[in-house]
Amino acid sequence: MTAAARCEPALLYVIAWLTMLLLAGISLGSAYLELGVLAPVVEFGIAASQAAILFVLFMRLKGPPSLKWLFAGSGFFWLLFLYGLSMTDYATRRGWPSPG
Amino acid sequence: MPSRTLHPEIQYRTLDQQGETAQLGMWVFIATETLFFGALLFVYFLYRRAYPAAFAQAGKDAVLWCGTVNLVLLLTSSLTMVLSINAAADGRRRAIAAWLVATALLGFVFLGVKGYEYYADYADQVVPAVNFMIKAGEAPVGELFWVFYFVATGLHAVHLSIGLGLILYMLRRVRRGDLSPAYYAPLEVVGLYWGFVDTVWLFLYPAIYLVGR
Repeated sequence: MTAAARCEPALLYVIAWLTMLLLAGISLGSAYLELGVLAPVVEFGIAASQAAILFVLFMRLKGPPSLKWLFAGSGFFWLLFLYGLSMTDYATRRGWPSPG
Repeated sequence: MPSRTLHPEIQYRTLDQQGETAQLGMWVFIATETLFFGALLFVYFLYRRAYPAAFAQAGKDAVLWCGTVNLVLLLTSSLTMVLSINAAADGRRRAIAAWLVATALLGFVFLGVKGYEYYADYADQVVPAVNFMIKAGEAPVGELFWVFYFVATGLHAVHLSIGLGLILYMLRRVRRGDLSPAYYAPLEVVGLYWGFVDTVWLFLYPAIYLVGR
């Protein structure tokens, strides 16, 4: 794992940064559109896209060691279990949600 | 650039192996943090789905410009952080320090804006257990939104403060000449942590500031 193997040109990072800012602007703008139930899907979808850019480029998932992908993915893998198993309760619970 | 860590620790064969192990260790930590903040967001989604109108009403009181400015600050700080790592790979010691200082400054400004926002929230009487007041036309259950807001942003601020401490420590190591193009894994590990703190804000931003707009 040499230094050269890990480094990307600074211009690529600047382009990625500008892309993330653009996505942030789109996310902010979309909040004022009447998207209804799709609004959180769009907003969190954009957040996930920004996070993907951050993980792959800024946090250098791109490049050696490739084992990093397994380690990085494991958090999200177990998160699926956490969400899935928790929803087996909340999706089937009677009297939920209680009147606010 | 002189280096005090050109020889690997006894349990490693090479500096590359030592650096890779350090990176993987930080990724394991980030996986646990993903579960930590992921559980918090799960609770948010659960209550937002249960009380959509109350969350939309409460979310309107969040200070949008503070959240947006802080999003831009953190995204920019991720850029400066990765540029400092690039500089380390090239052995440009002054540039490492300069980009690290820029990253730290952006982090401190983030905390300043956050502090101002908390002050504005206090003045707006939306702090649960301190001075929360139900406004006309708003549902009492909206207080749940503010509980999430303070827990999530408070935990994020703690993480960011730790990141700032790590950056200042890295500056000290740069000054001592501890990092070299052959070994700059400590800086990469701090960069990973900083990137994760930034990622958390990417998800808190729509959860807090865009709901109900």
